[in-house]
Amino acid sequence: MDGSVRLEEVVMRFGDFTAIDRTTLEIGSGEFFSFLGPSGCGKTTLLNMISGFLTPSEGQVLIGGEPMAGVPVNRRPTAMIFQNLALFPLMTVYENIEFGLEVRGVDRKARREASERLLALVALEGSGPKRIGELSGGQKQRVAIARALAVEPRVLLLDEPLSALDLKLRQHMRAELKAIQRKTGITFIYITHDQGEALTMSDRVAVMSAGRIQQVADPVTLYRSPATGFVAAFVGENNRLRTTLIERQAERVRLDGGALGELAGRVAAASRLARGDPAALYIRPEHLRPVEEGSAGPILAATLEAVHFEGAWVVLEARLDASGELLRVQLGHEVSRQYTDALVAGRRMRFGYDPDDAVVLPADGSPRVDEATGEVVEAGHV
Amino acid sequence: MFRQLAARFGGPLAMAILGLLGIWLIVMVTLPQLQMIDYSLRPNLLPAQRGGPQDGWTLTNYATLFANDIHRAIFFKTLWSSVLVTLLTLAVSYPLAWYLAKVATPRQAALCILLLIIPFWINEILRTYSWFIILAFRGPLNEVLMMLGLIDRPIRFLSGDAGVMVGMVYAYILFMVFPVYNAIESLDDNQVRAARDLGAGTLRTHRRIVIPHAKPGIATGCIMTFMLAAGSYAVPALLGSPGSRWFTQIIYNWFFEGGNWNQGAAYAFLLLVLCIGFMSLVMKVFKVGLGDIAK
Repeated sequence: MDGSVRLEEVVMRFGDFTAIDRTTLEIGSGEFFSFLGPSGCGKTTLLNMISGFLTPSEGQVLIGGEPMAGVPVNRRPTAMIFQNLALFPLMTVYENIEFGLEVRGVDRKARREASERLLALVALEGSGPKRIGELSGGQKQRVAIARALAVEPRVLLLDEPLSALDLKLRQHMRAELKAIQRKTGITFIYITHDQGEALTMSDRVAVMSAGRIQQVADPVTLYRSPATGFVAAFVGENNRLRTTLIERQAERVRLDGGALGELAGRVAAASRLARGDPAALYIRPEHLRPVEEGSAGPILAATLEAVHFEGAWVVLEARLDASGELLRVQLGHEVSRQYTDALVAGRRMRFGYDPDDAVVLPADGSPRVDEATGEVVEAGHV
Repeated sequence: MFRQLAARFGGPLAMAILGLLGIWLIVMVTLPQLQMIDYSLRPNLLPAQRGGPQDGWTLTNYATLFANDIHRAIFFKTLWSSVLVTLLTLAVSYPLAWYLAKVATPRQAALCILLLIIPFWINEILRTYSWFIILAFRGPLNEVLMMLGLIDRPIRFLSGDAGVMVGMVYAYILFMVFPVYNAIESLDDNQVRAARDLGAGTLRTHRRIVIPHAKPGIATGCIMTFMLAAGSYAVPALLGSPGSRWFTQIIYNWFFEGGNWNQGAAYAFLLLVLCIGFMSLVMKVFKVGLGDIAK
């Protein structure tokens, strides 16, 4: 029995509310797989179905090819790292890590050997006799990892375990989690609303929204070729422009941007977009760059409204002259230095982009990001 | 303390509050107890002899208990039976407290707590009497058991300790349920989930996670139940038989039948010492301090 996880046509309903819409998904053995989505999208529900805390209303969960229906939480080959870690505060670090082994009837000596080995793995040698209350946030995190690994699970489930840590520690733990996953070869299923975590650690990411999986892909594909408007808006930042398709040549399209003039972009080969269809053009802020008048390719003329210096880059908020829509532009250090004097509010600028970087998706019902709150607002299903 | 109260309520009111507290503690608690101790250390004399040559402090009254086989037996029986009542009450209350705190929906829990509390609106004597009726030789419990064919002839519930046990568990269940419920309620659900996830079954989860967490609550419940049981008069008087006499009944007899207040005071004081001793023992065994219990 390996560490693969298969969800077959699973549905989860709570009363009238459908938390998970019919979902089928295969997670490979030894994969670092993330579920990414805003809170309430159903990702924790999925995790609870895999761990056994919830039983799907329909469909089934298979681990290592074996159906898990009727297998209770304490008999599944999974271990969970909880959002609040849920370490046992009345026990020592040793006792916490050895709890799962004690349950399995492993004798005292073998237990202690195992916990010493795990403490070494998470770089906490010598902390065994300590109480949980004596540990720092990062150390608690490591104990939680060691405790879960002690039972030698085939699948490790992680429910936003880094959310309580401060930024620096979080970034450090990302690298460490990834290293531990590589060393142990255990399947990691990671739940997060933080795209940075999902993109840096995962082999593949499933982006979820409102109980549905929007796209499953490796981080690069997810970022470069979002499959739906939700993914385009939720993963990274995107400017969305309303257009109509004029002409399509394989993956390259010419678009009518209305007052913005002719624009261009790239569609997925499988996309069914055809001439005359309304289309949404997504351009990432970092793909826009200042250009001179009359240069080749699509040009967006805009007036600067705000300039935010963020250290490694400069973020511009500009109002498109033709349509009045807001455009976000992110300039790297190299570029912004050339324009130091020009980057002031009220200045008119022209921005260009490489059409290969701009994704075109069907426009109907696409969600958008609310400018005030930064939340993704859904306008029907994609 | 005065300064804090004065800042909040003003000088005169603060003085009144502290004055009342002082009067209560000194006049109504400390002095009567000291009086009792004084009584217990003097021989029982006729009014005319008081202050005479025979009057003086002595330990005879305390020695009586150890000289009297029957009283000593009842003393230890009361101790043992109170421990038993405490354990029985805990056994009944723990699952109930667990259900209320972690299993029931808020609505179910509220309803259940209401159902638990309503009977306590009725006077303890009346509640105990109702058990007297239920457990009677020709009472409804025997009728039902016979109708169901579980027994051939009625059982004399009230002749041994059984009646007293049932009555006391019932009378003191709330004093156990609520502290244990409060303690279990404060346990993070994820602790239980984590234990399950690591492979622990129900028993081990309770033994290793829930009970250690609920320990202060369990200790509080045990101490309260034990105190109430050891000091109970109504339940053994109504539901007990001559064979299941309680030490409180002996004390009562010394005071009101024997008219020997000095002897009664000594016995009452011994019972108090017993209770304090038990309380310290429980606190030591459960490794909880007074601060944990006061929570």
